[in-house]
Amino acid sequence: MSEADGRVRLTVLGGYLGSGKTTWLRHQLHEGQFSRALIIVNEAAETPVDDALLGQSNRLEVLAGGCVCCTAKQQLIDLLRRICDARSKADAGGERLSQIVLETSGLADPGPIVEAIRSDPVLVYHIIVSEVIVAVDALHGLSQLKTEPLGRRQIDVADRLIITKADAADETTLTTLTATLARLNPGAAISGAVKGVAYPLPDWSSAVPEVLPEISGGAKAPVTPTRLYLDDSIDWSAFTVWLSALLHARGDDIVRVKGVVRTPAGRLLLQTVRKIVQSPEILPEQGDQREDNMIVVIGRGYTESQLKRSLHYFAGITDAR
Amino acid sequence: MCSACGFPTAPGHWTDAGASTAHDRLRGRMRRAQVLQTVLPLYGLKAYDGGEVPGIQISTLSGSETIVRDLGEVWMLAEKISGGPVDPLDPRFIGEE
Repeated sequence: MSEADGRVRLTVLGGYLGSGKTTWLRHQLHEGQFSRALIIVNEAAETPVDDALLGQSNRLEVLAGGCVCCTAKQQLIDLLRRICDARSKADAGGERLSQIVLETSGLADPGPIVEAIRSDPVLVYHIIVSEVIVAVDALHGLSQLKTEPLGRRQIDVADRLIITKADAADETTLTTLTATLARLNPGAAISGAVKGVAYPLPDWSSAVPEVLPEISGGAKAPVTPTRLYLDDSIDWSAFTVWLSALLHARGDDIVRVKGVVRTPAGRLLLQTVRKIVQSPEILPEQGDQREDNMIVVIGRGYTESQLKRSLHYFAGITDAR
Repeated sequence: MCSACGFPTAPGHWTDAGASTAHDRLRGRMRRAQVLQTVLPLYGLKAYDGGEVPGIQISTLSGSETIVRDLGEVWMLAEKISGGPVDPLDPRFIGEE
């Protein structure tokens, strides 16, 4: 499809929880890629964090509180229709929006999103899905492919696969992952990246793809987001003792934790992927602070009430029973 | 996010990121040991950090003592000694005994 047909090109950026989508996009924006694009960030949790990181973007929309491939699909369609409407009414002499980048939540299957846009009677005349890019975590990608049906579906629909954190995995893991991805989706271009910067992948031509077990959709409970508010009675020390123990004991089921925590050292952006905690980034004091001290825990195997009581026990708060 | 497009990251173990002054660091260490003391005794262990030496002192009921560098090492050691991980969702912590 040529660009001259006047439709907006939509790039869908997907990938599992913590696969590095925002980090990759942030660097592309820094490099000037997508600089004239409208960026739409979707987060399954009601507490958006990623938008704080994408300050390089001129135009940003956030869809929080639901995943756009399922619960918030209609919200996405409505937003895209509004965008297309505004674009059609824009002054013919002005600059018209030509590109949208949709960063999905880590819980999203890009397939139904693309399908919804292509089958919408209005959007089909205004938007063309130009590329589906999927980020794959070099360290956790293989285990996700073995256990998470969603992880496989994300790979299936990609036009381009980016193996992120490529410097964190050893060569055997990297070549096995690349060969496995190439077998799952032979049509996709595969490249490596470290913090958004292109990273050459080792030669994987002789690597043996991992044999993936059959997984039925309901074998494991789906992961869901839980919001935890850290009030003033929960200090950083108690919180870190609790979270580090939780990740050590339950890191396979708690796939992602993120949020901004206020500490004596400033506003810290906390992000974990399974058992790995990234060095917290120190955020500037400016910016939207309404969601500070709100942590999103995405996982399975517990209830919200159990998480809260557990954290309160560690912080020395007595819950009324 | 390269070094130019991200925000600066806090140095050291992530659990130390909440303090930037020596005073805050010391207070954080003591508080951390206090919190550990509400948890580890249920697994037959004790924690102590008086700020004199770097690290957290973990001792068993029989009196053997080990100094570990950070919380990650605390949980690994506790798992090794008690035969299972210290689970914050342990029914004893969340009142579901």
